Amino acid sequence: MKKAIRSVSVWMLALVFTAGIAFQPSAMAANDGMVTTQQLLSQQQHSDNLAKVNAFMSQEKVQQMLTERGVNVDDAKTRIASLSDAELEQLSAQIDELPAGQGALGFLLFLLVFFMLLDIAGVTDIFPGV
Amino acid sequence: MRFNWSARFRALLLLILVLLQACAATPQTDALLGTTSSTPITQSRVYLASTPFYPQSQYQCGPAALATVLTESGVIVAPDELVSQVYLPEREGSLQVEMLAAGRRYGRISLPLGGQLTDMMKELEQGRPVLVMQNLGLDSLPQWHYAVVVGYDLAEEEIILRSGTVEMLRTPMKTFERTWARADHWSVVLLEPGELPVNGSADQYFSALASFEQVNESASEAAWVAGLERWPEHELLVMGYSNLLYRQGNLETAATMLEAFLQRQPDYQPAQNNLNQIRQELDGLSTR
Repeated sequence: MKKAIRSVSVWMLALVFTAGIAFQPSAMAANDGMVTTQQLLSQQQHSDNLAKVNAFMSQEKVQQMLTERGVNVDDAKTRIASLSDAELEQLSAQIDELPAGQGALGFLLFLLVFFMLLDIAGVTDIFPGV
Repeated sequence: MRFNWSARFRALLLLILVLLQACAATPQTDALLGTTSSTPITQSRVYLASTPFYPQSQYQCGPAALATVLTESGVIVAPDELVSQVYLPEREGSLQVEMLAAGRRYGRISLPLGGQLTDMMKELEQGRPVLVMQNLGLDSLPQWHYAVVVGYDLAEEEIILRSGTVEMLRTPMKTFERTWARADHWSVVLLEPGELPVNGSADQYFSALASFEQVNESASEAAWVAGLERWPEHELLVMGYSNLLYRQGNLETAATMLEAFLQRQPDYQPAQNNLNQIRQELDGLSTR
């Protein structure tokens, strides 16, 4: 039962985030202010970071490690798409610090951060009734 | 006995690691030296003799390398002045982001190049030295280092650097490519506003310029103009320059620019939004 509740709440979260993304353009148009250069810059950096993290996630080795830990890769990607600028930046910086050969230490560090972020997603348990 | 075995095992592992590193591929050098006709490089040898040399003091290759490229770009600054800005004593080194930020603070646009050896060489042909990061050690045992590329010699297959305490370090191109690749091909040129890189994308240029503008707004106009001359259809550059004009109170010019752009690319929403906003403000001004 508890498991069912949790999976429902994950879906709710995904829904809320997806809705947030889908409504972004109209929110932008409705917004009275100017679109500033700095907003465009952070948008560009956000998509760069997202691309980097997704490329990392698409590596077979990484997917295998996630699967072994019981994490569904598609779910993880959905969650990553909904991370804030700062969180994504942090994750992307962590990937940068990974040595090209993926030394064990760097990879462990990465996983630590990664699961910390997943925890954040879990902490966002703002729908206790669901 | 058991300990002995594990020590041997570790030695063997280390040996394998070293061998693996030794035969790491150098695709860019191979492509460059292998082809005779299709290379974009026109000069077989370049050496920027006038680039100053600041020998580094202990571990402080970051400040020394940065002072080298800044001085060459016309901002005369000694490494000592940069130490407090880019050097982290507990890490005995400098972070890349801080190197980029320090360049901006001195009125230069820090533009990361795309990681192609040929792009770097094109910059050298134009007389512009390139700040690089290298990992002189192994992936698993890194030794980070900043240096400045001041030349190359295709016949000798060498890259020429101002590096550490050596004024003219000639490194085999393949060795350089390996150490540079291990630092993710990090390479940066400093541009005076108005200067453009030889190669490079409009996206990269926008990103470098928008970061520059945050600390140096008054100096950024020439850079937007130069960028738009090369990439007149790039939406981010159009937005960036029209936003600067708007902030300067030059609303009509900004509106004209956005209108012209929207005629060519009518679907770009941020430009529509800003044009509407500026028109509203212009209407408010005229009816007052």
